Amino acid sequence: MKNLNHNSGSPVTGRRYWRSLDELAETPEFKDWLHREFPQGASEMEDGTSRRHFLKIMSASFALAGVAVMGSGCRRPEEALVPYGKQPENYIYGTAQYFATAMPTRTGAVPLVVKSYDGRPVKVEGNAFFPNSNGGTDRYVQASILGLYDPDRARLFKQAGKKVSRDEALAFLDTLSTKFAANQGEGLAILSESSTSPSRARLQKLIATKFPKAQWFTSDAIDSAIHQRAATLAFGQPVRPVFNFDKARVIVSLDADFLGGEDDAHNHIRKFAASRKPGETMNRLYVAESLFTLTGAGADHRLRLAASLVAPLAQSLLAAINGGAVAAVPGVDAKWIAECAKDLAANHGNSLVVAGQRQPLEVHLLAQAINSALGAIGNTVSLLPALESASGDLKNFDGTGTDTFVILGGNPVYNLSWAPKAKPANVVRLGYYEDETALKCDWTFPATHYLESWGDAITSDGITVAVQPLIQPLFGGLTELEFLARLAGESVTNPHDIVRATLGAGDEAWKKILFNGYVVDSASAGIAAKFSATAPEVKAVAPSASSLEVVFYRDAKVDDGRLANNGWMQELPDPITKMTWDNAVLVSRKTASDLGVANGDIVEISLKGRTVSGPIWVQPGMADYSLGLALGYGRENAGRVGTGVGFNAYKIFSGSYVENGAAIRKTGGTYTLACTQHHWSMEGRPAVREGNLEQFAQDFDFTKGYSEAAPPVVKSLYPNPLDEAKKTALHQWGMTIDLNSCVGCGTCVVACQSENNIPIVGKDQVSRGREMHWLRIDRYFTTEPSRRKPADAFQKDEDQQFEQWIDDVQAVNQPMLCQMCETAPCESVCPVNATVHDQEGLNVMAYNRCIGTRYCSNNCPYKVRRFNYLDYNKRPLTELKGTLYSTTLTHKTDGKWDLLRWWNDPNSGMRSEDEWDLIKLSKNPDVTVRMRGVMEKCTYCTQRIEQAKISQKAKAGASDNVRLKESEKTVPKTACQQACPAGAIVFGDVSDPDSQVSQLKLQKRNYSVLEELLTKPRTTYLARIRNPNPDMPDYRNWPYSHDEYEQLNGGSAETEKKGNS
Amino acid sequence: MIFPKWTNWLPLVLGLGAALAGGGVVAGVTVYLTPKYTRAGYQPVQPVPFSHRIHAGQLGVDCRYCHNGVEKSWFSNLPGASTCMNCHNQVLKDDARLQIVRDSAANNTPIPWVQVHKVPDYVYFNHSVHVSRGISCVECHGRVDQMDEVKHVKPFSMSFCLDCHRDPASHIRPTDKVTNLGWQWSTNAAEAATLQQVNGQKFVHDWKVESLQSCSACHR
Repeated sequence: MKNLNHNSGSPVTGRRYWRSLDELAETPEFKDWLHREFPQGASEMEDGTSRRHFLKIMSASFALAGVAVMGSGCRRPEEALVPYGKQPENYIYGTAQYFATAMPTRTGAVPLVVKSYDGRPVKVEGNAFFPNSNGGTDRYVQASILGLYDPDRARLFKQAGKKVSRDEALAFLDTLSTKFAANQGEGLAILSESSTSPSRARLQKLIATKFPKAQWFTSDAIDSAIHQRAATLAFGQPVRPVFNFDKARVIVSLDADFLGGEDDAHNHIRKFAASRKPGETMNRLYVAESLFTLTGAGADHRLRLAASLVAPLAQSLLAAINGGAVAAVPGVDAKWIAECAKDLAANHGNSLVVAGQRQPLEVHLLAQAINSALGAIGNTVSLLPALESASGDLKNFDGTGTDTFVILGGNPVYNLSWAPKAKPANVVRLGYYEDETALKCDWTFPATHYLESWGDAITSDGITVAVQPLIQPLFGGLTELEFLARLAGESVTNPHDIVRATLGAGDEAWKKILFNGYVVDSASAGIAAKFSATAPEVKAVAPSASSLEVVFYRDAKVDDGRLANNGWMQELPDPITKMTWDNAVLVSRKTASDLGVANGDIVEISLKGRTVSGPIWVQPGMADYSLGLALGYGRENAGRVGTGVGFNAYKIFSGSYVENGAAIRKTGGTYTLACTQHHWSMEGRPAVREGNLEQFAQDFDFTKGYSEAAPPVVKSLYPNPLDEAKKTALHQWGMTIDLNSCVGCGTCVVACQSENNIPIVGKDQVSRGREMHWLRIDRYFTTEPSRRKPADAFQKDEDQQFEQWIDDVQAVNQPMLCQMCETAPCESVCPVNATVHDQEGLNVMAYNRCIGTRYCSNNCPYKVRRFNYLDYNKRPLTELKGTLYSTTLTHKTDGKWDLLRWWNDPNSGMRSEDEWDLIKLSKNPDVTVRMRGVMEKCTYCTQRIEQAKISQKAKAGASDNVRLKESEKTVPKTACQQACPAGAIVFGDVSDPDSQVSQLKLQKRNYSVLEELLTKPRTTYLARIRNPNPDMPDYRNWPYSHDEYEQLNGGSAETEKKGNS
Repeated sequence: MIFPKWTNWLPLVLGLGAALAGGGVVAGVTVYLTPKYTRAGYQPVQPVPFSHRIHAGQLGVDCRYCHNGVEKSWFSNLPGASTCMNCHNQVLKDDARLQIVRDSAANNTPIPWVQVHKVPDYVYFNHSVHVSRGISCVECHGRVDQMDEVKHVKPFSMSFCLDCHRDPASHIRPTDKVTNLGWQWSTNAAEAATLQQVNGQKFVHDWKVESLQSCSACHR
C-alpha cells in the first residue's frame, strides 16, 4: 500500500522513527513548520519591490562612498584621439582588412586569408578561393597566430649569448660570405628543415654553385618525406604521391593516421569527408594500427595490431590481392585479411592503400605495390613531380673539418638524435626561439614568423603559393630567404625581391598572385608511371611483455615540439586521450595489467640502453605490448609556457618511429594527468547516434528510433516569448553538425579560441575542470554489449581502465557547444537576467550583467558554460603551472608591487610588460575580453552575425533589403564552421527553408541531444553512418553504441533488427 | 536622573535626521551619478581651436567631408591633418592657430584631439548602420553645427540608447537629411511632430527597421 502520509510521515505500521520531540508529539507548531517551504520570515524577502529597494539604497550608499573618496572625479579619464597627419588612401579605421598568404608546412603549404585590424593580424582562415579548397584549415594553422605574439620569441641578434646590433650581425654574415666565396665553401655546412619554397630551392642551388664544397643537410624530426622517397623508389622516377581519398571507395590504412598526425591532414579530411556522404557515395575505411588514432576512430573496420606487424600484414594483403595464399600474421584473423583484400580487388581502380609516415620504407613499397595491382595509380593515387632538394645524409656527417655550421630553423639539439663529434668554430643559427639549440650556438639570429615574411611554397597538390607579410617583423628578425641570400653574398637580399625574381612575375602578374594568394594554373601535371621496384620481403617479430614495441608519433598538439610554447596547443585536449599539458606512455589494458601498472604510475622505459621516464595512461583500443610515446614534450628551454611540460621521448628516439625491444620498470612515483574527459562511456544515453549504411538505406529515423527516451510532450505553462518574437525577427539561427563528416581533429576548438579571445588556464586549472573552451569535442568509447555487464557502464572513472571491454572499442566524436536551446534551462535560473534570448534565437550572454552565481552552468544539461574562476587574461604565463593564484596585495611584477601598479593603471595585470603588450595585440577587438567572475559560452559568433547584419543594413539604406540570404552569400560563417576541413559544421538561417541548414535538419539523420528534456536545441546533430563490410569477421548489424543503448534501456523500437549476423 | 529630559526627543530627531539624510543621498545619487550629469556637459579644450559652428554651420561643409569613414565603419574617424590642408593651404594659410595642423600634415605627427564622445564599456556601437538608415548625427551629438567647441550634450546612458531603440519612428528621417542637423519636417513644431510620427512609422515599416532591444544588439 502506498504511503499517504506527508513527507514527514513514517509508515503507519511497523517501527516509527522520529526526528525531534515535537514530531513525536505532533504539535500544531511542528505541523505548521513542516508545511512552510521556508522558515518564518523568509518569504518577506520574496516581495520584489522591497528587495529591489533595499538593493537600490545599498548601491546608492556604496556609490556615494565612492564619490567621497574620489572627490568629484567621476568623469572618465581624458583620452586623446590621434588621427593620421597624412591620411592614407583606402584605409578606414575600424574596418578589417584581409590578405591572402600561406603557411608553409614540411611537405606543402596551407593557403590562407588573414584578417587584420589596424595592421595587426588577428585571425587566420583558409583561402576558400584556392582550387578545391573549402576554406578549412588545421589545428596548427589556427594556433600559429598565437606564435606571432609569443613573448618568448627570439628578439635579439646575439653573439656568444650577448646582444649585438643587427648591423654587426649582418656584417658577420658578409664576412662569412666573402670567406667562403674565396675558398669555395670549404668548411661550410648548412642544416635546414625541409621546405617546399621554390625561392629557397633556388638559393640552395646558388649556394651549391658558389660554394661547391659546402655541405647541405635537410633533416626533420618528423620525417614526412618518406612518401616521396618510397614513391620515387617504387616508380623509378622522382615522384611524390597525392592520395585522392575523394575518389576512393575502399581505403586501407596501414598505420597511416592520415586524418590526424600525417602532414597535410586537413586536405585528407576534406577529401575523405567528400567521399563519405551516405546516400551518395560512401567509402569504406579499413585501418590497421597500434595507437588509437583519429583515423582509427573513423574506421569501419579497425584492426588492433602492433606497429611492427603492419609490414607482414601489408605483405599478406599483397599476396591475397595477387591471388596467392594469405600468409598468417600473428594475432590476425586470416579472414579479416582475405575479405579486406577481396573488397579492395572488387573496387579495382577505386581503392587505395596508404602506409603511415611511422612505418618503414618496406611498408610504403608494399602499399604502392598493392596500389599498383589495384589500378590505383592515376586514379586514387596521383603522382606529381618530386620536390627535389639535394641533401647529404646527416648520419655520415660528424662535424669534422667544419669551420662554420649554419642551422636554419628547427631545434636539432632537442629533437635530432645527432650531434657533431667536434664542435665547429662557428655555429650560426637562425631561429624563432632562444631554445635548446640557441644556447649552444655562437651566433643567433631571430627569425620571422610567416605572417611577417615574404616567401613562397608549393602545396601538396603542386600549386605555387605566395607568402605575404601582414606586419613588419615585430622584433626585426630575418627571413630564411634573406639570411641565405646574405650568406650567398647576393646583391638582392630583400625577400620580397627574391620571391618575385623566383616567380618571374611582372607588376600586374605579381599583384594578381598576391591578390589570389597563388599562381593561377601553376598546378603540376600528373605523371604516369608503373611500379618498377620489387616488393620487399619482410620479417617481423611480434612484441611481447618482455620485448615491448615503442611507437613514436607526431603529437596532435605540439607537433615535433615546435609548438610547445603555444598555450592554445598545450591546452587543446588531445583528440583521442583528451589529455592536456602532458604526454604519457600510452598502453593497452592488457599491457598494463601484465606489467602491473595503472594510470599515473611513473615508469622508466629502457630501449637499447637509452632510458626515459613518464606516466602510464591506459588507452582503449591500443595494441597489446605497444607503447605510444608522443614526441615534442619535455622541452628544457621552450619558454614560459612550454618548458618542463611532459617528458622528452626524443631521449630514446633513434630515428625509427617503431622500435622493438623495450622494457619498462615502475619507479614507484605517480603523476597527475590533466584530462578533460574522464568518462569513456555514454552510459547508454544516445548522445551520439549511429547506424550502418543498411539502416540509412532503410530510412531509419534517428530521432524516432530512439524516441523512448522522450517523455510525453506537455504543454508549457507559460508561453515562450521567443515564439512571439520569431514572428517579426529577420532570421532564426541554427546549426547542424554532421557526425558522419566530423573526424574530431580539434581545428574548430582552436579556431573558436582564436576568434573569441578565450584564455588558457594552465594544467592545474584544467585538472579542476576549469578549462575555458567554448567548444569541446566529446569522445566516447563504445563496445559490444556482451563484453560488459550493464552495471559497468556506470563505473567509476578511475576503474574503467581495468575493464576488459576497453580492449576493442569503437570511438565516436561529438563537438559540443552551446546548443542554443529555445527553452534554455540556463536562462530561467539566472537571477539577474544576464543570459536571455534575443529575437533571432540566440541565447546571449551579457557579461556586464553577470554576477557569477554559476546557477546557469549548474542547470545546463550540456555543460557548455564556462566560468572565469580567475582573471586568466591578467595571469602571468609563468604562473600557469602553479596551484596558487597570487593577489595584487602580495604579488610583484617586474619588481613592482602590483597594488601600486594597479593604482597607477587599473588596466595593468600581473603580467610583465612584454607579455601584456603582445597579448593586447593578439586579441580580437570585436569580442569582449572577459574578466574574473563572469560566465561565458559559445555565442554562435554573435560578433560575426552582427557585423553581417550591420553591413547588410548599411547597404540597404532606405530600402527593406535587410535580410541576410544564403543565396546572396551574406550569411556569416561561425569560426568553427569556417575552420572545419570536413565541412561538418553548418550554420545558417533556419527560418529560410532553402538554406543549407534547414535542408539538413529535414534529414532523417537529424536529432537533438537530450531531446527528452524538451530544451529544443537549435544545434542539432546528424547521425553518424558506418559502412562495414558484411563479409568481414567483425561485422555487426548495428554500431556498438546502438546496441549499448538498447541493452541499457531494455530494448527499443528497433529490437527486431538487432543482432549479429 | 541619568538621562536629561531632552533625550526623550532623541529617537524622533534621529529618525527624522536619518530620513532626511537618506532622502538626500537618494536625491544626490539620482542627480549626480547618472550619465545625464557625469557625461552631458563635458566640453574639453581642444589642441586646435576648431569651430564646428563655422565649418559645418556657416560654411555648410558636410559632416562626411571630414568624418569620411562614418558610413563604412563603426567608428566615425577624425580627419587627418592632410584633409584640413585641402582648404587651409589656400585659406588662412599663415594663421598661427593652424600651426599644429600644418606641422601635423608636414611631419605626419598626429594632433592629440581630446575625445569627447565615448560609449560606455561593453557596448559595441556602430556608426555606419545608424547613419545609413536615417538616424541623424544630431540624435546623439546635438547641434554640433552650432558649437564652437564640441560639447557632450546627450547622456549616452543605456536608457538613452533604448529610448530610441524602443521608438525609432520618432527619430528616423530621410537618409539624405542625416547630416543636415537643423532639418525639420516643418517649421511649425506641432506639424513637424505629426509628420515625424506619420513618416517615421512609414519608414520603419518600409525599410524593415527592427526595434532591436535584445542584449546582442549592442553587447558581444
